[in-house]
Amino acid sequence: MASAPPDVVASTRTQTLYGLGDPVLSELGLNEFLDELLTRVREALSADTVAILLLDRESNELVARAAKGIEEEVEQGVRIPIGQGFAGRIANERVAIFIADVDHADIHNPLLREKGIRSLLGVPLIVEGDLIGVLHVGSLTPRVFTSRDVAVLQFAAARAGPGIERARLFSALEREHRVAMLLQRSLLPRRLIEVVGVAAAARYLPASDEVGGDWYDVFELPHGEVGVAIGDVVGHGVRAAALMGQLRTALHAYAVSERSPARTLERLDRFVQGMGEFAMATCAYAVFDPESSELRIASAGHLPPLIVGNGEARLVGIAPAAPLGAFMYGSVADHEMALAEGETLVFYTDGLIERRGVPLSESMQTLRALLGTAESGEEVCRLAFERLVPAQGLRDDVAMVTIENLVVPHTLELRMPAEPRALTDVRRSMRRWLRSQGADAQTIADVTLAVSEACANAIEHAYSPAPAEFELRVSRQDGTVTATVGDVGRWREPRGEHRGRGLTIIGTVMDEVDVSSGGEGTEVVMRRRIG
Amino acid sequence: MRLADVEFERTERAVVARVTGEVDLSNAASIGAAMVDSMPNDEHRLILDLSSVEYLDSAGIQLIYQLRERLHARGQTMALVIPSSSPSHDALRLAGLSQHVEMAETVEQARGSD
Repeated sequence: MASAPPDVVASTRTQTLYGLGDPVLSELGLNEFLDELLTRVREALSADTVAILLLDRESNELVARAAKGIEEEVEQGVRIPIGQGFAGRIANERVAIFIADVDHADIHNPLLREKGIRSLLGVPLIVEGDLIGVLHVGSLTPRVFTSRDVAVLQFAAARAGPGIERARLFSALEREHRVAMLLQRSLLPRRLIEVVGVAAAARYLPASDEVGGDWYDVFELPHGEVGVAIGDVVGHGVRAAALMGQLRTALHAYAVSERSPARTLERLDRFVQGMGEFAMATCAYAVFDPESSELRIASAGHLPPLIVGNGEARLVGIAPAAPLGAFMYGSVADHEMALAEGETLVFYTDGLIERRGVPLSESMQTLRALLGTAESGEEVCRLAFERLVPAQGLRDDVAMVTIENLVVPHTLELRMPAEPRALTDVRRSMRRWLRSQGADAQTIADVTLAVSEACANAIEHAYSPAPAEFELRVSRQDGTVTATVGDVGRWREPRGEHRGRGLTIIGTVMDEVDVSSGGEGTEVVMRRRIG
Repeated sequence: MRLADVEFERTERAVVARVTGEVDLSNAASIGAAMVDSMPNDEHRLILDLSSVEYLDSAGIQLIYQLRERLHARGQTMALVIPSSSPSHDALRLAGLSQHVEMAETVEQARGSD
């Protein structure tokens, strides 16, 4: 069938059908390829309608996949059992069938009559001996399809069959790729944290042909700590993406109740072992406390993180334990260090630095040299992706996540919404600021309590119909800390037996308190010597 | 992230409510509601364990007073557990709470003094 009858070749109209064997066409994707096929067939045969049905092997039915002139066939998802009606018989008997008068024939699909089709011609689509579908043309006026028409249609079917199979396979792969990509995307955090004193930045790019199992996460922990994790699941595709989603969720759950990163990774390791199928992954996890600048890191087979700041990037010398799932009862160690103000912790996956023919140690030196000048986590990510990640043809996925310990300003100035939940951030900011001023633990607790009370009062008076705000300004001159809380409301006189306790507390722990109310609002100024 | 958590433990002689985290204007009312809910009429005593509370301010103190009033009206008693070393001890001491509410150093001590 693949060789063209001489009289077909002679026709210029059928020339276009030759092109259907061109492998380039099938790379269009199945929909585009079928569209092209139908257009050419309709033209070559001057037919009014043309449709293609493909075999669904699971149900053993023909499913309308593309049509012109009878688009409803596809829209309605017409399915024809093999052996029944016009198309079903063509598929079953693997012969061309011509129906001169549709009204008096055995037709399974009522649409054909409803659309006013009078005559039909159909042929089977066969690739390497397997039936893959049926191609048919129709005429709205009675027409006798000639043997030449049959030959043209058979020729088109023969040329197009392998292309359809290729395009089908291609779109199945493409669909898997898309699903994996979507899964991966949906499993990565949608927004990064908002924690006082910390800025987080992250990037992720999937490989150009396959999705891998790279992931990252940044989350807030109880007590205002920040957890940051990165991992790489061995393998590719939907399975790797699904596994990475499980790991990310499990790590977050363990992290909430387990303060040690090493214990968290050990529990994650047991989780992977308990999955009952071979799975392996590397992971690095750190907990950062912005109040004390303390950083604890643990690694299960992951590449060493970097700390960037003060014009240099240094590798964090931690001994990684075995990857998750590698050994029974693997143990992981915590590494404690400080992430100083202005410094950034950098986690990345191997896709960022692995280049064919370049030793890993050399790539890591390149990365160090590149990031040394970066002044923020965001700049670290930007530089790394601009300089190290190829625009096209990425062979492995790349993930990167950073957390930066922001510099504490000399004067703390905050403008917050007048809502109770703002108080947490007020206290965190106060503790960080007081610590940076060298205050002792008792002073930090006292001044934080007083300022939080004053802010709570400002929040309670906020009665303006528009979203209200309050302001906090804290500075130090010589040995005295001055904190000013201003709002747009009126200072409320203590009411009831237990009201006004806040003001009593402020008065007890601070050396001086001054409340002034004016037309603009109320201002509370508090002072305390911190030595 | 929740600012504070409450865990309840029912024992023969009392309900022990252990609060962890920070208590302020944003969550004092809901913590108070949880306490009242945990005390059906047939329970006699609530032991409010604040030893793991890292921050507590006047909103928390008000919560304690209100809770005491509500329990008292139902014939139930309440004891606070605050070790003198705990961070929130200062705020409570400053508010003179010990004159009005029974206070203990440990849960055991609070149980024994029933």
